[in-house]
Amino acid sequence: MRITRYEDMDDTAKDMMREVGSIGTGNAATALSSLLKVEVKMTVPNVEILGYNEAVDSLGHPEDIVSGVLVQMTGDVSGVMLFLMKMDFINEILGCVLQESIDGYEQMGEMEISAATEVGNIIISSYMLSLSKLADMEISLSVPAFSVNMLGGIMTVPMAEFGYVSDKLMMITGRCFIGGKRVESNLLMLPDIQSLNYLMDRLVAPNE
Amino acid sequence: MNSKEIKVGIADMKIARREGTLITYALGSCIGITLYDPAIKLAGLLHIMLPEAGNMADMNVYKFADTGIQEMLRKMTAFGGIKRRYQCKIAGGAKMFEMGGAGGIGNIGERNVRSVEAIMRTEQIHIMKKDVGLNYARTMMIDVDTGIVRVRTAGRQEVVL
Repeated sequence: MRITRYEDMDDTAKDMMREVGSIGTGNAATALSSLLKVEVKMTVPNVEILGYNEAVDSLGHPEDIVSGVLVQMTGDVSGVMLFLMKMDFINEILGCVLQESIDGYEQMGEMEISAATEVGNIIISSYMLSLSKLADMEISLSVPAFSVNMLGGIMTVPMAEFGYVSDKLMMITGRCFIGGKRVESNLLMLPDIQSLNYLMDRLVAPNE
Repeated sequence: MNSKEIKVGIADMKIARREGTLITYALGSCIGITLYDPAIKLAGLLHIMLPEAGNMADMNVYKFADTGIQEMLRKMTAFGGIKRRYQCKIAGGAKMFEMGGAGGIGNIGERNVRSVEAIMRTEQIHIMKKDVGLNYARTMMIDVDTGIVRVRTAGRQEVVL
């Protein structure tokens, strides 16, 4: 099956992405766990095809302040990965790594930003590493970029990137538990359509 | 004053007359464009994402600066707006992530601003005021009664355009 838009994805394709996502987030949780030295769990992710406005609404109010780590993928799969963290997640990380907690994003200094960026980067990298192993692909990742701002503004970055190919986005989202405590975070993997076809060829077709 | 607040989504456009507020939330690299005809209190707010449609004419016209502005002008005219009276203000076009190295992700906002400015020049519509660029998201709203545009950001003072 070739798809030309995200909304053309059928259940097999979505299941495939969920499976890939599940393995990826599993590895990401393990990596984060060894960094933070606490138990980290991520739920089996949900794969959703959403319009721009729905995508933002599903994550909160567009003016909500969130932080995000963005990494660009190139190679056999191209696209972007965006890891969104809310305040409670940042504080869990800071508690484990720097033994401190903050009241707002504006209190994040260089150390805090660097810790949060690194955590986002570890999650994204370990996710992509497991994916590239699974499908035997070469994927290179850019240096992570960090931003704290309105959810709507941060989400427009991946949206604009895919605006020319689709009116929809694919979001792979999962919940995260650090030390048994549920914290808000969302991992968004947005491969371009060509890459998605490539992934499906690699992962679905051989088993048929 | 603001009896009615009309939300304009991403890649969307709304027009209102005489009263109420048109609002669009959290413009990142996107651009919010307001056109206001003070003589008949007609206001339009457009939220575009990308500079030009190219050959993707079948998609949502409001996603792109070129097709979006064309459609907005057409609708404004249909509501009785006269182009030479339009007050145009724009906001957005930020660079949300500082990406190292090459790649078009970082500078889409700047391209959007340039595209909107070029289109307005061609249309001979003067951009009266703007609040664009930098690295933060903006919420833009226009008071339909007065044509006053406000730009709200996180942790900064509200800007009146």
